[in-house]
Amino acid sequence: MRPSPRPRQGAFGSFGGRFAPELLTPALEELETARREIVPTTAFRSELDREARDWVGRPTPLTRAPRFSERAGLETVFKREDLLHGGAHKANNVLGQALLARHMGKSRLIAETGAGQHGTATAMIAARFGMEAVIYMGEKDMERQAPNVKRMELCGAEVIPVKAGARTLKDAINEALRDWTASLATTHYLLGTAAGPHPFPRLVRDFQAVIGREAKRQWRREFGGLPDVVVACVGGGSNAIGIFHAFVPQKSVRLVGVEPGGAGLDSGRHGATLVRGTPGLLHGARTMVLQDEEGQILEPHSISAGLDYPGVGPEHAHLQEIGRARYVAATDEEALAAFEVLSATEGIVPAFEPSHALAYVLRARQSGEIPAGSRVLLNLCGRGDKDLETYFSLGRSS
Amino acid sequence: MREIGFPYSDPIADGPAIQAAAGRALARGTSTRRGFELLAAIADSCPGIPLNLLVYGNLVHRIGYERFTDTVSQAGASTLLVPDIPLEEARPLRRACRRAGIGHVELAGPLTPGPRLNRLAEDSAFVYLAGFQGVTGVRHGGFTTVLRRVTEVAGKVDVPVCLGFGLSGRDQIESAFGAGARIAVVGSHLVRVVERLYRSSGDAADLLAGYRSAVLGLTAEE
Repeated sequence: MRPSPRPRQGAFGSFGGRFAPELLTPALEELETARREIVPTTAFRSELDREARDWVGRPTPLTRAPRFSERAGLETVFKREDLLHGGAHKANNVLGQALLARHMGKSRLIAETGAGQHGTATAMIAARFGMEAVIYMGEKDMERQAPNVKRMELCGAEVIPVKAGARTLKDAINEALRDWTASLATTHYLLGTAAGPHPFPRLVRDFQAVIGREAKRQWRREFGGLPDVVVACVGGGSNAIGIFHAFVPQKSVRLVGVEPGGAGLDSGRHGATLVRGTPGLLHGARTMVLQDEEGQILEPHSISAGLDYPGVGPEHAHLQEIGRARYVAATDEEALAAFEVLSATEGIVPAFEPSHALAYVLRARQSGEIPAGSRVLLNLCGRGDKDLETYFSLGRSS
Repeated sequence: MREIGFPYSDPIADGPAIQAAAGRALARGTSTRRGFELLAAIADSCPGIPLNLLVYGNLVHRIGYERFTDTVSQAGASTLLVPDIPLEEARPLRRACRRAGIGHVELAGPLTPGPRLNRLAEDSAFVYLAGFQGVTGVRHGGFTTVLRRVTEVAGKVDVPVCLGFGLSGRDQIESAFGAGARIAVVGSHLVRVVERLYRSSGDAADLLAGYRSAVLGLTAEE
């Protein structure tokens, strides 16, 4: 088979690109121009830094985890994105994009959300900036994540139930793209992950890359040198690309992304797009996707609504293709066990999403996936309050 | 011209009517393979009438551009429109269409600037102009603006202009032709007709008769 051509715009190797209808081209070009011309300016950077400090709560600390490390048999340090305003790394991206939207003269923000974290973050920033916010959320996710729906509405956002398809994240993205096609003159689509058509994967990565930049500096100061392994969970991939980006040039640092293995990779009920998917076009990019043999997109499964996505950011597909990062999966069961271990050993209740990354670290020493004596940096990208109801409904006894 | 669309799980350029139709079709087991059989049957039964296939990029990408366009050509379609593979990414697809002997169609919109229209029209069998800025089957604003845009685009490009998105009546089609369009596509409206007939009667003969009268209502004098 002939190698796949490199996309013409926004390529990451053979992945990425702008596979979106012509009617969206004006909006995507306007956004790309703004990304190039506004984001690098001193005025924008200083506004971003100030709001990141005063409203979002940056910098976040690195936290040593001696009791967790002992359980894992690996020295593990957490980057504490769970301490950000809103309880997850999502705030980094919504702040950057909302500021940019304001500079572009847009008064309305639209967003998709699965678990409700990105929708909540968007609703928060819209309230702060006095902008209108419309959040598309699958009807099924609205039932699963009712408290987050209330939180968005409390911040003044309108939450629109999406009844198409499986009524989850994928369908919410479709609906947001459709809204944007008709409303682009006044509206910015605040995409929540490092996926979608160019320039979104770069835009989101650049706003999330602060995680890795900070962590690298803090690690050097506190521990000296560099971590041996950097681990993060991957759904769409924004927290992972955020912490990986600064370390990509340092070849000695192993990068590991952990995908949702759901009920097990062989069960077919999982969201392990990079581990088990094939190349395809989804939501505007060429990337790895879960699809059938004719190219219909499949429904993923994960205990974590935030990782429940049949595609992935194209830069991850590229990092996997060139062998720079490795992608593995952790099952629902492994993630739940890790959720319990971290709560009990360190007094930190993590979100289900980073629980997948924690699960990998807990098994990696024994499975030989990480050599003994390695120092691990893990992106603890969100706190677990939102998952408590689901957790208790499972009736587990830890 | 006849236009056939293959159902896809994530039709981001389509409004509610076509989304629901794709969902129904997929839920009942329609596949790309069966789509091609239908395409061939239609091409055989009406020789000489151009047949445009509208299909989302992932269905083409999955099978491979060359294999897909060869199959389109063998089934008897004359042109192919892939709404989510825009100009910049279309080169390999255009090459595959040329090789397979079918025309490639580019989508344009109300905001597509002049120089870009000319680039879209180059090597394109026709330009498929979306009358409204939005998804299929949903109208935003008045039809007069649409007609002005048709005339503007028809004056700029050397290939036929096809008007689509939000058309539902014979008077609109006639005024589109009057404004310089050579083709007009009625999609969502007919899909809604099928949906209504399908719900009110499961009988194939009723469905065909009802559909026929809806189509005749668009094309013939009363």
